[in-house]
Amino acid sequence: MKKLTVTDVILLVLSTALCLGVKLVFHACGPKEDGSWMTCHWAEQAVFAVSIGMMAIAVVRLFLERREKAGAALAMSLMGVMTALIPNVMIRLCMMSEMRCHAVMHPAVVILSVLTAIAGAADFVLSRKEGGK
Amino acid sequence: MRQNLAVRNLKAKPVRTGILILLTALLSLMICGGTLLVASMRSGLASLEARLGADIMVVPYEAKTKSNLENIVLQGNPGYFYMPVERYEKIASLDGIAQISAQFYLASASSGCCSIPVQIIGFDPETDFTITPWIRRSYAKQLQTGDIVVGNDLNAFVGDTLQFYGVNCHVAAKLDKTGTYYDSAVFTSVETIRQLIASSLEKGMNDFSDIDPQSVVSTVLINVAEGYSTEEVMNDINIHVKKVKAVQTKEMISGISASLKGTSDLIGVLIVVVWGLGVVILLLAFSMSVNERKREFAALRVIGASQRNLASLVMQEAVLSGLAGAVCGTVIAVMGITAFHTAIEEQLGLPFLMPSLGKQMLTSIISIAAVLVAGTAAAAVSAYRISRIDTALILRGEQ
Repeated sequence: MKKLTVTDVILLVLSTALCLGVKLVFHACGPKEDGSWMTCHWAEQAVFAVSIGMMAIAVVRLFLERREKAGAALAMSLMGVMTALIPNVMIRLCMMSEMRCHAVMHPAVVILSVLTAIAGAADFVLSRKEGGK
Repeated sequence: MRQNLAVRNLKAKPVRTGILILLTALLSLMICGGTLLVASMRSGLASLEARLGADIMVVPYEAKTKSNLENIVLQGNPGYFYMPVERYEKIASLDGIAQISAQFYLASASSGCCSIPVQIIGFDPETDFTITPWIRRSYAKQLQTGDIVVGNDLNAFVGDTLQFYGVNCHVAAKLDKTGTYYDSAVFTSVETIRQLIASSLEKGMNDFSDIDPQSVVSTVLINVAEGYSTEEVMNDINIHVKKVKAVQTKEMISGISASLKGTSDLIGVLIVVVWGLGVVILLLAFSMSVNERKREFAALRVIGASQRNLASLVMQEAVLSGLAGAVCGTVIAVMGITAFHTAIEEQLGLPFLMPSLGKQMLTSIISIAAVLVAGTAAAAVSAYRISRIDTALILRGEQ
């Protein structure tokens, strides 16, 4: 394993929080009485799938050289932006904003995804600056 | 140059700087978050008072005795109750009534998108004086049969079609945020709601199976005429009209006002206690930090720094770390409350309306200023002490 940087830890923590959180902590609404799912459930599944990818990249980053890490950070940044757009933009959530998918899942996913995107972009920019010196 | 030294000192000791930033961030998080919570609850209550807009509300007696009236009218829990239209006519014939209008309630069955029902409120645009003025802000035209106006919290937009009990309804407008249960309700005209009530009866999905939708109302709202007191008119209705209960709307929200006062007082006390504790902790933190750095300050004195320079250095470090922490804490508080306001509202069970952007900015600035005052006041004591150190004694290790 290469030397750990602050961004390595931040990206790994954020992507893990997103991946586990969307299933265990800030999940979408439960099933309806007849057992069928509302559309917010599929938004949750999509966020979970993308966040697994993000977490995998964050783990692989730990074993990469600085320049390669920057590329992975950029990929995570773009995936962060895409993840933030999944709930209610790409996949519409439930009808009432007091429902769990709006009140809890949406803000939590947007905050964690945007923070991942910012951290990834910052790491990429910093590595470009370091490379230019 | 001096500022550079303060910045370099902070960078050189990342753990010490991190702890100072964390302490000030927690302090500003508490102050800004607490103030925003109280302001939002107060705005919500004011909005609820404005939305009720009537002096007296008359409901069927069963609604009052089942104690579901406040749940439905104030908390927004979907529900419905009906009384014959004759009672409305009898109330209208009494003295002391300036304005009177009937409303009709219906709770939607869980529709395709959601597992929870939506409250549908029907009103008569000819006589209504509580909902219409507020709908006019978003929609100036007359509602046609089949048209609905949706509250701000509903994930439906102008032009959408929503289906209730098999009846397609066209979304004509979306209302501004009010911070009350109106945000998650659907409003429509008398004709449309009667159509929906009839459809719910046909499908056997209405608790009141034996009513005629054309001859029932849910509530009657009244504004008292000049020269009459609200109590007088309310008592008159309760005595002369059978099987109804007239209540003063001010009394209905007195419970919410009491809860709000209790919660805001508690938050206020917590803010003061946390601020006081914060000052004490910062005082200790700066004091320990300065004690640890006595030799460093003595060395600075030897190379020509004045007592004033040393005090200024300590103050600059305090302001820089305090500012960083205060800004972080305030940003987290504003972002957190803005993002999770719906979840907070659900937990509190009180009307909740976020203050305007200007008020949020003002609260943020005041919070940052309060934390900076606490930080600099705590650092000032240490700055005074360090400006009076005896360089020779410290360098000889005797102090």
